[in-house]
Amino acid sequence: MESLFLKNFRNYLQQQVYFHPRVNIISGENGFGKTNLIEAVYYLSVTRSFRTSNDHELAGFPGRFFFIKGLFSKDEDKHLLQISYNENQLKVIIDNDRKKRFDHLCLFPVVVFSPDDLLIIREGPATRRRFINLHVSRLNQYYFQELRSYHRVLLQRNKLLKEKKNRRDLEKLLEPWDDSLIDHGCTVIRLRKEMIRLLAKEATPFFSRMTGQQEELSLEYIGSVDSEEDNADLQLLFRELLLKKREVEIRRQVTMVGPHLDDLSIIIDEKDSRKFSSQGQKRTAALALKIAEAKMLYKKNGKWPILLLDDVFSEFDNKRKERIIEFLSGIDSQCFLTSSIALDPFLMEMARNYKVFNVQRGVVRDEKDGDSC
Amino acid sequence: MAYPRALNRLVEVLCRFPGIGPKTAQRLSFFLLDCSREEVVAIARAMVEAKDKLDYCQICGSLAESGFCSYCSDGGRDRSLLCVIQEPRDVLVIERTGQYRGLYHVLHGVLSPLDGIGPEELRFEQLERRIADNHINEVIIATNPNVEGDATAGYLARMLKPQGVRVTRIAFGLPVGGDLEYADDLTLSRALDGRRDM
Ligand SMILES: Nc1ncnc2c1ncn2[C@@H]1O[C@H](COP(=O)(O)OP(=O)(O)OP(=O)(O)O)[C@@H](O)[C@H]1O
Ligand SMILES: [Mg+2]
Ligand SMILES: [Zn+2]
Repeated sequence: MESLFLKNFRNYLQQQVYFHPRVNIISGENGFGKTNLIEAVYYLSVTRSFRTSNDHELAGFPGRFFFIKGLFSKDEDKHLLQISYNENQLKVIIDNDRKKRFDHLCLFPVVVFSPDDLLIIREGPATRRRFINLHVSRLNQYYFQELRSYHRVLLQRNKLLKEKKNRRDLEKLLEPWDDSLIDHGCTVIRLRKEMIRLLAKEATPFFSRMTGQQEELSLEYIGSVDSEEDNADLQLLFRELLLKKREVEIRRQVTMVGPHLDDLSIIIDEKDSRKFSSQGQKRTAALALKIAEAKMLYKKNGKWPILLLDDVFSEFDNKRKERIIEFLSGIDSQCFLTSSIALDPFLMEMARNYKVFNVQRGVVRDEKDGDSC
Repeated sequence: MAYPRALNRLVEVLCRFPGIGPKTAQRLSFFLLDCSREEVVAIARAMVEAKDKLDYCQICGSLAESGFCSYCSDGGRDRSLLCVIQEPRDVLVIERTGQYRGLYHVLHGVLSPLDGIGPEELRFEQLERRIADNHINEVIIATNPNVEGDATAGYLARMLKPQGVRVTRIAFGLPVGGDLEYADDLTLSRALDGRRDM
């Protein structure tokens, strides 16, 4: 991404910024608008925010509109992306062509790491399932379709379980929904497991590197239907479990077997990180997941996605800060780092491949780039 | 904008058509106002006539002008073959392929607990009776390739197989979750060819 123009976006009235092709460091005090800036970059790429699903929150007070424009270069070509929001109407234009929202998701992929990603480790299974679903959908369109079908079957089946029917009729009505639940459910489980294996292959080395080879991260899929065998056996097992749970399901009127109940176990040195890890360890694990996601996109597209790292340095010790910088200078990706603490001691590593921006209450000042220090 | 009352009412009524929003409704209204009185009456009459004259075929449930549809009354069609479809309009989709020579059975919907639609709401019983009373070799189920269409097919297969009839599902090369209505003729011809046993 070469440049960004904002109008009435969050606390920016009007702002033009020219970015560095490699590392962009956005510094400034709390509440000055650092996260807002990378939120705008994310919005251009994904056509939604990573902080809210309410577009109107993004419009600067007290307005009802915002405008974001970004110039991207891709394979020697330049693309102009413009998004304007006005009273609930969203208009996305790429190089003079009107696009639908979410249509260009693969065009300029980004991966964001924000403080909220700590929740992936800390919260309940639903948060981790959400992460997995987003991650796998991004790499595999088919997964997204299967997941959607699975959820539809689940809703239908749960509704059926709530109906007052005699047992024989209910059994008969459940049969075809059981088939579909098993069918889509097994595909969902299979693809998730496969992707988690690949994710772990990337996340584990990054985590080791961050901890100076002192600690080990592993990922494990916890499935309510779990089998080491191939797809056919998974189907049999799924059916067996459904039958076993029939009584309870009818009593509780809800589906109690399937990937909608599964979890991802994130383990540091053989201990469940959710329960036993420190804040910094959890953050390192969350970062490793995000970097692994970026690496998988790199393997798929042959190019690194744009990395947006919001407040990535807080809560990390100096060694980890150094290693993050070291990692980022070693890959060929454009990244954006926000930080409210001075990073100067760490920037020596970066040679000249960066630019520092200073943000002050909704105004970005070009501070210095790598050449001048 | 404040429209005259009669115009407002017209726009409101047109909005009830599927796929027609206020803007299109407005355009249609102004079109009607530009028409001569005779033209408008002709349009209105065509609507009422269609409503009065068209009914569902007593045998298969597709659209018919007098008790029985043209397919059921056509002696040249293969009476041992039934194609089960969701909606009356799907008949036209299958006919368009020019490949199918059997008869139809329209369910008028699919199983969907969320919408309160169970077997009683659909023309399942008629289908069972039709198969019991006639010599039918094969039932091709052509409900839409989405979750509800699949479940309906599964339910029907279990229901019909004990009657000794071959039950097949049309093999979709269609986008998953799609609608029969939007399938192109070639895909649909292939789908009819490559149907699989259930
Ligand atoms: N819709 C809006 N209109 C105007 N100002 C807004 C809007 N939304 C947020 N703000 C302002 O933006 C500022 C927050 O910006 P941002 O989240 O980017 O801060 P930050 O620089 O990342 O701070 P921190 O270091 O605490 O993370 C707040 O001052 C907030 O009042
Ligand atoms: Mg911030
Ligand atoms: Zn008929």
